[in-house]
Amino acid sequence: MDQLSLLLDGFGAALTPINLLWVLIGAILGTAVGVLPGLGSAMAVALLLPVTFSLEPTAAFIMFAGIYFGGLFGDSTAGILLNTPGNSSAIASTFEGHRMAKNGHAAKALATAAIGAFIGGLIATTLVVFFAPTLVKLATVFGPAEYFALAVFAFLAISAVVSESVVRGLAALGIGLALALVGIDGPSGTARFTLNLPQLFDGISIIVITVGLLALGEVFHVASRIHRDPVATQIKTSGKARINLRDIRRALPAWLRGTAFGAPFGLIPAGGAEVPTFLAYGTEKKLAARRKDPEFGTTGSIKGLAAPEAAANATAGTAMGALLALGLPTSATAAIMLAAFQQYGMQPGPLLFDRSGDLVWALLASLFIGLVILLIINLPFASVWAKLLNIPRHYLYAGITVFSMLGVYAVSSSVLDLWLLISIGLLGFLMRRYSIPLAPVLIAVILGPMAETELRRALAVSEGNLGILVGSPITVTLYLVLAGALLVSGVQHLRHRRSRKAGSQEPQELVRA
Amino acid sequence: MSITGSKPAADERGHTGRPEDKPSFGTGRGELLVAVVLYALAVFLTVGTISMNVQGTAAPGPQFFPVLVCVLLYGVATALTIQVLRSRSIPDTRKHPGRGNFSPDMLRDLARLPEERAKAGSPESWRTYSDWKTVGMVVGGVAVFTAALNILGWILSAAFLFWIICRALGSKRPGFDAGVSLLFASAIQLAFNAGLGLNLPAGFLGGLL
Repeated sequence: MDQLSLLLDGFGAALTPINLLWVLIGAILGTAVGVLPGLGSAMAVALLLPVTFSLEPTAAFIMFAGIYFGGLFGDSTAGILLNTPGNSSAIASTFEGHRMAKNGHAAKALATAAIGAFIGGLIATTLVVFFAPTLVKLATVFGPAEYFALAVFAFLAISAVVSESVVRGLAALGIGLALALVGIDGPSGTARFTLNLPQLFDGISIIVITVGLLALGEVFHVASRIHRDPVATQIKTSGKARINLRDIRRALPAWLRGTAFGAPFGLIPAGGAEVPTFLAYGTEKKLAARRKDPEFGTTGSIKGLAAPEAAANATAGTAMGALLALGLPTSATAAIMLAAFQQYGMQPGPLLFDRSGDLVWALLASLFIGLVILLIINLPFASVWAKLLNIPRHYLYAGITVFSMLGVYAVSSSVLDLWLLISIGLLGFLMRRYSIPLAPVLIAVILGPMAETELRRALAVSEGNLGILVGSPITVTLYLVLAGALLVSGVQHLRHRRSRKAGSQEPQELVRA
Repeated sequence: MSITGSKPAADERGHTGRPEDKPSFGTGRGELLVAVVLYALAVFLTVGTISMNVQGTAAPGPQFFPVLVCVLLYGVATALTIQVLRSRSIPDTRKHPGRGNFSPDMLRDLARLPEERAKAGSPESWRTYSDWKTVGMVVGGVAVFTAALNILGWILSAAFLFWIICRALGSKRPGFDAGVSLLFASAIQLAFNAGLGLNLPAGFLGGLL
């Protein structure tokens, strides 16, 4: 067991007082952004990237590990107490969680969510430790054609299979690929789409794109709706009904089932935890119907909350494995983590374990430490975190705006970057306004350059013969699975459109855009 | 059971509140703006690809991938235009729980939730979906900050930015906010100059001190 001794070395590196402090800071920040609706780990890492430049890479990644899991610990709090999930990964937990809260079991629901997130993350991270070397071995047989197939798979899975609208998903993909093209082309040295501005020779900074889309775009979007959307009312967490041994015994099978749903999805570029959390919730619903469980759907079932919470963090855990070993980001948050590695001059993938093995194992160890710290700061204090929801929204978003400008200015001290940031923020606002998904943009910006390089490399080897792209069993399998998924989701879209047409004869009111 | 978390419409008679205007061409078709952005991006890439000063002779060269992206952009821009022209998005009250990242239909099927009927009409009285006055103040504030940063320096421009956004988002205490803004901006300046050794512009204040 080579991994165990490597992991122990990782713990040695991560368990210094200063690094523990970084995990703690990351865990607190992560939980905070998770609790606040509309913010998430991806945005927190994007905002912190520029500020952490002066840190040592290990310290920065240890902090990001805390943020990465912390967002998923916090996101169910707002869902349970306000019925407005902090992120879409918490929607499935909200159904039963909010019912429990309404029936006076808010504290129990928050504890169930925190323990579920811990168990899911713990099992998934353990799996990563043991299977990462296998994934690395798999990745070493990948050639250019295989990497290109993997990128195409990620692009289309996120933009066309899981998104709400295929056209809008592909539009987002196109925008992301276009943004990634700006700058000097590596292989040939040709300047592309730079308008002869030397500031653009290095391309549009990934920080400008992520902060613009995720932070500034969100602020603009909130501004457009803040005086119009109704304010949700919060349920008080006071009262008894703490979690007891009997609850834990009831929730345990659901936590484990949720983990089993979540873990495989971390390896698939399906955009994150939404699909597995809903799958886990659906399974619990079916089981409850079979057992004739009266709580489910009425007073709130602890199992219906436990399963999706565990699924979400299990997905995040194995997603880290796919990211480190294959260099494949399977969700928007993972894409930002990949960008963080690139900012520090590291490329996740098989070589990372050789070149920066110390950092990788310290990062994996700090994922474990982060989970323990998150459980400690979330289990007894969930109601304290809920107080964050009382921060006046105008201070929150004013602070985020100032931080966005600060971060982007800090990278290059360039006012041009700030104008670029505002343009991309407006683009993010436009995309939110018309429900055009943001995840495909982020994935395309991060994986676009890799896809282009590998495609050109493959075609250069085959001297222009396209056959090389489907020349190995791995690529053929990837394309077939992708085609199958596209077909299934296409049928799905058509079926729902038809059933909606049949039932939408209601009167309409005009609202101008 | 709702995966949108939306509250039931407070006023079911919403749609009878206002006489039906005859819809103008643009009504419910604001998304054409997205199609325009996509076309603009595609044209920009096309011009850039044609006029590219190609270095080296390797095939496929640096123009190969941009051509693929151009084809994708023209394709989706056209598809989106057709889609928007064929069906207006009115009433504009459909919720998008996954913000477009996820298909609510798919999630509903996975969780065995019943089909949700879109609620017709909205109880609100606003004429436009977006609150352009607030957006205008926020975007204007960010633009003024960027233009003024090197002249006024970090503290004054960042404090202004913080203050104007509080104001736009509905704060009722401008005087108190001004204090908070100055404190926040100064704290950042101090932390960055002292802690991280990063120089934020001092502006004309730098000359006075």
